[in-house]
Amino acid sequence: MARISKEERKRQIMDTALRLFSKEGFFEVTIADIAKEMKMSAGNIYNYFSSKDALAKELILYISKYLGNQIRQINMQPLSAKEKIKQIVELYFKTAKERPELIEYFLRIYLSNREVFKDGCEGMICVSPFVTEIMIFFEEGVRSGELRDQDFFSAFGLFMGYLGGMVFLMGEGMLPNDIEFYTDEIAENIYRALKNET
Amino acid sequence: MKIELIEKIEGEAFLDVSCRQGKVRDAYVRFPHYRGIEKILVGRDPLDALVINPRVCGICGHAHLQATVRTLEKLAGFEPNEKVKKIREITRFCEMVQNHIKWFYLVVFDRLGLTYDFRTVHVMIQKINMLAAIFSGQWPHSSYALPGGVTCDPSQLEILQAKRLVQSVREHFVLLVGAFDIKNLSKDLKRLYDRLEERDLLYTGKSLDRFITFGSDSYVQSSKILHGKVRPAKLHNIREFGQEKSHAKGVTYKGKFYETGPLARTMLRGDLFVKQLHRRYKDSITTRIFARIYEVGTLLKKIDEHLRTIDISEPSYTPLEIPDGETMSAIEAARGSLIHKVCIEKGKIAEYVIITPTQWNLSNAKNGESSIIKKALIGAQCEATDIIFRSFDICSVCTTH
Amino acid sequence: MRPKVIWLQGVTCNGNSHSFVNLPDIEDCLRRYDWLYHPVLPSSCTLDELSDKECDILVLEGGLKPGWRKGEFDLEKLFLRLAKRAKKVVAVGSCAVYGGVFREYDENITGVLFSGAQKTKHYKSLAQKTVNIPGCPAHPEWIAFALDAERVKLDTYNRPKELYAYTVHSGCMRNEYFEWKVDAEQFGTKEGCLYYRQGCQGPFTHGSCNKILWNETASKTRVGTPCFGCTEPDFPKRDLFATKTYMGIPATMPLGVPKRAYLTITGIAKSFHIPRLHKRLFDED
Repeated sequence: MARISKEERKRQIMDTALRLFSKEGFFEVTIADIAKEMKMSAGNIYNYFSSKDALAKELILYISKYLGNQIRQINMQPLSAKEKIKQIVELYFKTAKERPELIEYFLRIYLSNREVFKDGCEGMICVSPFVTEIMIFFEEGVRSGELRDQDFFSAFGLFMGYLGGMVFLMGEGMLPNDIEFYTDEIAENIYRALKNET
Repeated sequence: MKIELIEKIEGEAFLDVSCRQGKVRDAYVRFPHYRGIEKILVGRDPLDALVINPRVCGICGHAHLQATVRTLEKLAGFEPNEKVKKIREITRFCEMVQNHIKWFYLVVFDRLGLTYDFRTVHVMIQKINMLAAIFSGQWPHSSYALPGGVTCDPSQLEILQAKRLVQSVREHFVLLVGAFDIKNLSKDLKRLYDRLEERDLLYTGKSLDRFITFGSDSYVQSSKILHGKVRPAKLHNIREFGQEKSHAKGVTYKGKFYETGPLARTMLRGDLFVKQLHRRYKDSITTRIFARIYEVGTLLKKIDEHLRTIDISEPSYTPLEIPDGETMSAIEAARGSLIHKVCIEKGKIAEYVIITPTQWNLSNAKNGESSIIKKALIGAQCEATDIIFRSFDICSVCTTH
Repeated sequence: MRPKVIWLQGVTCNGNSHSFVNLPDIEDCLRRYDWLYHPVLPSSCTLDELSDKECDILVLEGGLKPGWRKGEFDLEKLFLRLAKRAKKVVAVGSCAVYGGVFREYDENITGVLFSGAQKTKHYKSLAQKTVNIPGCPAHPEWIAFALDAERVKLDTYNRPKELYAYTVHSGCMRNEYFEWKVDAEQFGTKEGCLYYRQGCQGPFTHGSCNKILWNETASKTRVGTPCFGCTEPDFPKRDLFATKTYMGIPATMPLGVPKRAYLTITGIAKSFHIPRLHKRLFDED
């Protein structure tokens, strides 16, 4: 095997874990399974992550940073809130399609197994890179007058709940069309729900 | 006609006097400035008035703050609890005390050529303002009172510090002025009396002998004295009128002019020392000046009482919605009754009117009715106009809000 | 020879004059200078006599307004004549510095060097010798410092850095609540930060109110009153007792802090519920 850096190997372990969690379920997969898949010893994996829970936490931070960085790129562009909404929806659906394990991990593991994350991932710590960018998107939209001022969580729930719901339907095989087919309409619906009426 | 610029009266005013054979024959007061406070308030959130209004006046900002608060509370039909009332009175009384001490020494003693112990006077001013700041955060200005209460939540330690300060100021005060015993004046009170006597000023500056007070608190109740009879005073009988060549409006009660301020308050309270002076000197500058400095002792005692009886476990604040509507209310400021009037429409200030104590005392005569200042000046020695004028403790900035 | 001082007033409420009187040991300050005019303290001249006087330090309290009379004089002309020959001009209080609260009524009211945040026509000729001490009012120690100071570092509004490099937030007793994002639920308590709901401008207002205490004992925030940003050119803003937010995020960030940095820290700080900071400070255990 070619020599690779410790960081890169860590990434590889995380990617493998995500894939396995997504396929077999979080509780089914053990560190030994991940090691086997990677042709490493379990002991070696423990050099990178002290426990499965520690790995789980790093994963959510990794996904949050992955999405956060991309939304940050959108936020930095001189676009209207309407255009930004469309790009965020596109980004989310594209990720759900190309790397479904990322979104699934967030929806199925992080959100539904809070006890795994209760120590060290309280509140928004592990999803802060993502939530911060969503906050900045909202704040700038309201400041410019394009979006209506409201409680952050009312808006956040509407936006993220909607996207999560669509990805859930996709995961269950219930969507008659490819998820990207819905991008424009959903972006329009979200914009109409959030925009300033006055 | 002689035009006198009267300065160092919290700003300036012009006094047009005509004299004949050394006596004042006619007098007219003009305030040359206007700063537009009432206009600044229009369209703003009612609570913004708590920050804007203290800026009417650098020496009685707390009174303007509290007049605003009381007016808004009246609109909401709210009465604060005892703790809130006491804290507000403590800070307002402190403000009155520092005002009276400054005026007594920096104005009256200075004008009459009397020396005084500047260091002690300054220590008293500094300490009484420090006492206020324990509750108000700072003096001058600050917006620590708001509809529903006060922002501070004093601890026992702070109450203790405040008690020490008031005690210290009381001790200094007695050392400077001696006892308020008309038969036995001593120290600075005696020196002042002697100077007034020397200059033949004891009986000068007599006015209409009518007094009015609109504020009601633990110190004084809203009432008026006309022809020696005490009656309640009602805010709706107040009328403002424009005055030529002046930016200040005149003000009457049922068409008549009244004096407001410490002399009015002490007369209405029936304080013996002032009553005795009044029996002899009527509402001359002697009674007016002594009433103001007498009030310092009474107010310090009130502050001390409040500090001893305050129950700090009561809440400092109750959330309060300010409804639309129109109302007015009054509060006692150092120089007398301060009246604020507000009209709120759709949650914003639509109109704001401020009537200051100096407007009462310095209105020019109208419709054949002589006014307080005019009556006090006419017939007096021309050289005495300055001290008569200043005996009212004029506040130019308040009047030209 | 003691430096001669003239304290002149423009469009003002007199608050700075009275604030200055609070200076502890003011006698020292009265001795150190030859006071030709002060509106409250003992001084040797009358207003009328100022016409042919000169001074080393000229203090202006209050805004300048064209045509405003000062006794027999035109205020602006008198000010400029005295300022031209003075070694130092001290603009005391936000009115003298920016025009202040009365500018809301009449935009012709300006400070010496600034009209709001814009430079005035006097900037060029007077900026070199003018020290600005904004505040509504200015703190007596700040004023005394400006009278005394020579060659002090000034910021872009000619404010001494030594006094205005701090924010009002520095030294606030409620800093712990700010750090952990615990907001005050209402007025009248010792607990909670006033930045999130009550409109406190302390984190982005230049001033040393919580370093050099008022009346030697307190400050607005120490008695639960929000800072109203009175040392800044846009004082008084509107809706002063509420924090302007966009979707719950304060519209104005702490001084120099990027929004992204602030929100990241906020999200994390809020995640930790510190029980001690959610209880009344003096509650029995």
